[in-house]
Amino acid sequence: MSILHYNGGCVVAMKGKNCVAVATDLRFGVQGQTIATDFERVFELGPHLYIGLPGLATDTQTVYQRLQFRIKMYEMREGRKLKPQTLMAMVQNLLYERRFGPYFVEPVIAGLNATTKEPYICALDLIGCATEPADFVVSGTCSESLYGMCETTWREDMEPDDLFECISQSLVNAFDRDALSGWGAVVHVIEHDKVTTRYLKCRQD
Amino acid sequence: MSLAVMDGADYMRDPRKHHFHPYADNGGTSVAIAGDDFVMIASDTRLTRGFNILSRDQGKVLGLTPKTMMASSGCWADVLTLKKVLNARLTMYSHEHHDVMSTTAVAQLLSTMLYWRRFFPYYVSNILAGIDEEGKGVVYHYDPVGHMEKLAFSATGASVAQIQPLLDNQLGALNMKDVTPPTITKELARQLIHDAFVSAAERDINTGDGILIHTITKDGTTDEKVKLRRD
Amino acid sequence: MFQVEYAIEAIKLGSTAIGIQTSEGVVLAVEKRITSSLMIPSTIEKIVEIDKHIGCAVSGLVADSRTLVDHARVECANHWFVYNQDMKVESVAQAVSNLAIRFGDSDDDGPAMSRPFGVAMLFAGVDKSGAQLYHMDPSGTFLEFGAKAIGSGSEGAQQSLQEAYHKSMTLDEALKVSLTVLKQVMEEKVSGSNVEVAAVTPDKGFHRYPQKAVEQVIATL
Repeated sequence: MSILHYNGGCVVAMKGKNCVAVATDLRFGVQGQTIATDFERVFELGPHLYIGLPGLATDTQTVYQRLQFRIKMYEMREGRKLKPQTLMAMVQNLLYERRFGPYFVEPVIAGLNATTKEPYICALDLIGCATEPADFVVSGTCSESLYGMCETTWREDMEPDDLFECISQSLVNAFDRDALSGWGAVVHVIEHDKVTTRYLKCRQD
Repeated sequence: MSLAVMDGADYMRDPRKHHFHPYADNGGTSVAIAGDDFVMIASDTRLTRGFNILSRDQGKVLGLTPKTMMASSGCWADVLTLKKVLNARLTMYSHEHHDVMSTTAVAQLLSTMLYWRRFFPYYVSNILAGIDEEGKGVVYHYDPVGHMEKLAFSATGASVAQIQPLLDNQLGALNMKDVTPPTITKELARQLIHDAFVSAAERDINTGDGILIHTITKDGTTDEKVKLRRD
Repeated sequence: MFQVEYAIEAIKLGSTAIGIQTSEGVVLAVEKRITSSLMIPSTIEKIVEIDKHIGCAVSGLVADSRTLVDHARVECANHWFVYNQDMKVESVAQAVSNLAIRFGDSDDDGPAMSRPFGVAMLFAGVDKSGAQLYHMDPSGTFLEFGAKAIGSGSEGAQQSLQEAYHKSMTLDEALKVSLTVLKQVMEEKVSGSNVEVAAVTPDKGFHRYPQKAVEQVIATL
């Protein structure tokens, strides 16, 4: 089992019609042992910008902190908020700097472009190789199950409510078949005028 | 000078450890869904070795009795051996007891046979589907060493991770508030099997090419072949 | 071959045992020969349980029967283990027969035994094709019967059974017939302590009749 699976956890993001959603489970464990069930690994980095950092929990926190630092520097230097695409480039840069001693996280970015309101999702591997698909991205210990769920349930141009249902069902049913993730979930649905955050009730085992 | 760099006969070289690799993973995915008076069992038709495709037309469902079928995938050599031994046991049973084996008996026999190989297992993932003594559809799921579970639906093999959560959700109505599990009709089962394999073929290189769907009822079995992506 | 014939003769000296098959189940009744007033009759056991759905009555060398009964029990348990189902009555008879004819020359199944088993057996059981009664003699020959008597009184008993038996018999009738026939062929006066009665039914499986119940029936004869 790779070090990426040491603490468990997963993240999924999906595009909808003028909206995106990103969701994660809440388990923090050490191999089979569950330590905490309120461990959020999706962070708000801007008004319409979220990043999920599943992988080794210590690197989740470190990468998040280093990203905050870089974003603040960017915003001060540039005097503007950063676009999702810019964040992606920044994460790529941060991760590839550690090409031969990587942070063990595989980030997922979800957001709306501040000016064009264009939905944006992407996923990166632990050394910063990005992919920007048109439908959904998955990452974490139950990524295979998430692929299976998302591939069948995702539809084009879903409204925020449908998108919420789709991403929630995909996430919860996928992680129910994974011992390393689960124990609650949180879903953020990002629209241009609001972000709705919901905590999901689910089986606790 | 170390022995390793010396030219010379074989026996002059450093000792080297050799390993025996008895197993291969030939991929393959199977799904079975039980209804009230039928059972559907399907598998993809791709056979792989690493990144190579050995066959695009190798179904993995074996007919055992008129009312029982088994899907197995994993190490294809073991699948063939298991099939051979199982068929022999079935024939012996019919001779000894003047009767066709019931689905529940085949289910238990398979479990016992797999456990006999507890310390050199058949590297196979099995699903058994059939009509039981009451005429109802049943599905049994196995691990390679004979753990057996009776279920209403199940997936196994290469793409189990992709397909099983979908079945849990769509047939078991898991995590669906105020929703009762649906009545499983042939149409629903067929549609779901199709969707599940399309999704699996989309994301798993070990699954693809086609699906062979077998339906068992008290009147007999029917087969259907559906195409899947071949890349 | 003489050995087999002698064995078949020998079982004709055994205590009488009767089995009657009906659509409701099968009755087994055997006589217990109390040869001494110091004998404790309840320790004589000539009807045994093979599995919860099969019983067996024996006549002849009871010691020999232990081996065969043990074999039958193991076969049943193994069948349950491998197939998770009750073994058919015919299959049990077949399995015991396979052991019964393992005398003479040794073969693949193991070393040979020096002589045949000196017992006749009645297998009474219920399986998916209903209640059945099988008889097996020392030669290993086994046949299905509607009603069958073995042992010393078997000739007379079989004649009586032939007259009394009909296909629509109830279990209670069969019980009464079996005791009536035993009464006819037994040298001693039939009582609750010198007969052993059991039945196999679809609902209750193998079960013995308590002495009181037997006495009640005897009283009506």
